[in-house]
Amino acid sequence: MNTDYVLMKGNEAIAEGALRAGCRFYAGYPITPQSEILEYMSLNMGKRGGTFIQGENEISSMSMIWGAAAAGARCMSSSSGPGYDLKQEGISYLSSYNLPAVIVYAMRYGLGDGEITAGQDSYWEAVRGGGHGDSRQIVLAPASVNECASLTYEAFDIAEKYRNVVIILSDGAVSQMIEKCNLPEPKEHDIDEFDWVISGKPLGTKKNKVTNLDRTIGYEASDKYVLDKYKTMFENEQRWEEFETDDAELVLVAYGISSRVCKTAVRQARKNGIKLGLLRPVTVWPFPRKAFEKMPESVKGYVTVEMSLSTQMGEDVLLAVKHSKPLYSYLTTYHIPTADGIVDYCNSVIAGDVEPREVI
Amino acid sequence: MATYRKPVSIINEAGWCGGCGHGVVQRLITECLEELGLQDKAVCVVDIACSYWSLDALDYDAIAGPHGRCAAVATGIKKVRPDSTVYVHAGDGSSYVIGLSETCYTAIRDIPITMIVVNNGIFGMTGGQMNLATTLIGDKTVSSKEGRDADTMGHPVDMLNIIKNLDVEFAARGALYDAKHIDETKRYIKRGFENQMNKKGFSIIEVLSPCPTNWKMTPIQAMEKIKNENEKMFPVGIYTDRGGETV
Ligand SMILES: Cc1ncc(C[n+]2csc(CCOP(=O)(O)OP(=O)(O)O)c2C)c(N)n1
Ligand code: SF4
Repeated sequence: MNTDYVLMKGNEAIAEGALRAGCRFYAGYPITPQSEILEYMSLNMGKRGGTFIQGENEISSMSMIWGAAAAGARCMSSSSGPGYDLKQEGISYLSSYNLPAVIVYAMRYGLGDGEITAGQDSYWEAVRGGGHGDSRQIVLAPASVNECASLTYEAFDIAEKYRNVVIILSDGAVSQMIEKCNLPEPKEHDIDEFDWVISGKPLGTKKNKVTNLDRTIGYEASDKYVLDKYKTMFENEQRWEEFETDDAELVLVAYGISSRVCKTAVRQARKNGIKLGLLRPVTVWPFPRKAFEKMPESVKGYVTVEMSLSTQMGEDVLLAVKHSKPLYSYLTTYHIPTADGIVDYCNSVIAGDVEPREVI
Repeated sequence: MATYRKPVSIINEAGWCGGCGHGVVQRLITECLEELGLQDKAVCVVDIACSYWSLDALDYDAIAGPHGRCAAVATGIKKVRPDSTVYVHAGDGSSYVIGLSETCYTAIRDIPITMIVVNNGIFGMTGGQMNLATTLIGDKTVSSKEGRDADTMGHPVDMLNIIKNLDVEFAARGALYDAKHIDETKRYIKRGFENQMNKKGFSIIEVLSPCPTNWKMTPIQAMEKIKNENEKMFPVGIYTDRGGETV
């Protein structure tokens, strides 16, 4: 039994989880609300024999990751909002040769510079993003400090299993809150574990050419490789948590900070005889469609609870249920939802006072 | 009498245009690595531009792009694999324009890599557009059709004059227009690799190099232009050498 309990911030738990997973290269650029990841790495990476670099910007930080990942290290970067935009080039490159890496997105609210506080309105960027070209990233959404550590820890294994980028999608609230956290066992990673790394090898031996995979193995083989991989990831990696869904009539769908409030809302509603349940995607890509397939007959509709202006995850819910059930979205922009607000909204849905959503 | 043999590191043909300087630069790089016995440790970083050909031409582990980010990519590799010989072969658009900050901050961090910059005064790969850092005033390109004009496009800049002040290990500029200059360039490149071998800091070697295709000149005219015009703006020689020895 691991009794390594500590009180930590979400951001610190992400950083410590990465270090314990054998992450030995971090490059990033400060931006609220993720800067503590960078700060924690600056202090602790050297102690574990790794490299911390405060990059001159997010683009170059990602290029360092492109090099470090190709050289075989477990590596990570982190950012938010406008900084994450600049990471898209690097994510596309990593995806072009199928290099594993873990990128943290601590969402802040708004367009442009936006706010520095929590938001979930960059869901699409995290889930549909990945820069130019056709690629998929596995996106894990922690809802507690404990999950910040455990999902980040696991993310490195998943990234290597599929040779794929894995994104940790947190938000300003999950990243900033302090909670009890059970840290995973530290482990080391062997930079020579995989045969696709670049290391400098004797003449006459097989060399690796890290560039678009299709340039190395041809379009046909490369297309097949990535499509098979994306299908396998989609099939095998869907994760979710269900709460009081067995007899639910209305199911809340929420991840990250919103999902925590939703749990309180479910309890509160049930006290008043409203059969509310919660489906919390732990992976938002692949979206847990399997969870929707097994929902009980009693479910009459779904309510996404999102800190965004328009429904974003709602579209994924509509796809998951193939438009067979109505979708409602309780959207709270830069405010963290309240349990009362969620229950009130659900009462209105039940009373028929709210129109189902298609888009926006 | 000297005998010349092709470096064994070159295993495939590259697709550079006739008279292009990139091939000479690749040849010098491989000769230096082999003469120093570093060929088995070499990791080659090329840009998504004309240097890209080297990726497949050489029997080295290699990585390409993103355009302009080579010095940062090399930083990532060198930090993970400090015993490898990591070098960059990139253009002047990559290194001094889009990747100016990557080049300068790699220099500022004094990352012990060897960076070779091909200064051909133009964006070769994309069809010959003006290079903000290196196209000479008056030079016509497809994006400065009436000649580069300082009032609207600014002046070219000698980046080695800036980089030499960043406390790097070694910064030098060579040219390729005659045997003497090729030899000198080779000595600079070799010095860059020796520095890496001896765990010293950042070395950058810029090479004045022709792009006959986009300059719309014969290879000989292109060499003459470098000698008579480009070298005046971009003098060859050692800009800084922390080791202090004369090359
Ligand atoms: C981000 C990005 N912007 C633009 C390009 C297009 N592009 C490729 S190479 C290049 C310029 C090449 O010039 P230089 O770096 O001087 O190298 P050369 O081909 O002359 O050796 C450009 C603009 C790109 N690949 N990526
Ligand atoms: S376009 Fe210019 S730089 Fe590129 S290969 Fe041809 S001559 Fe060389």
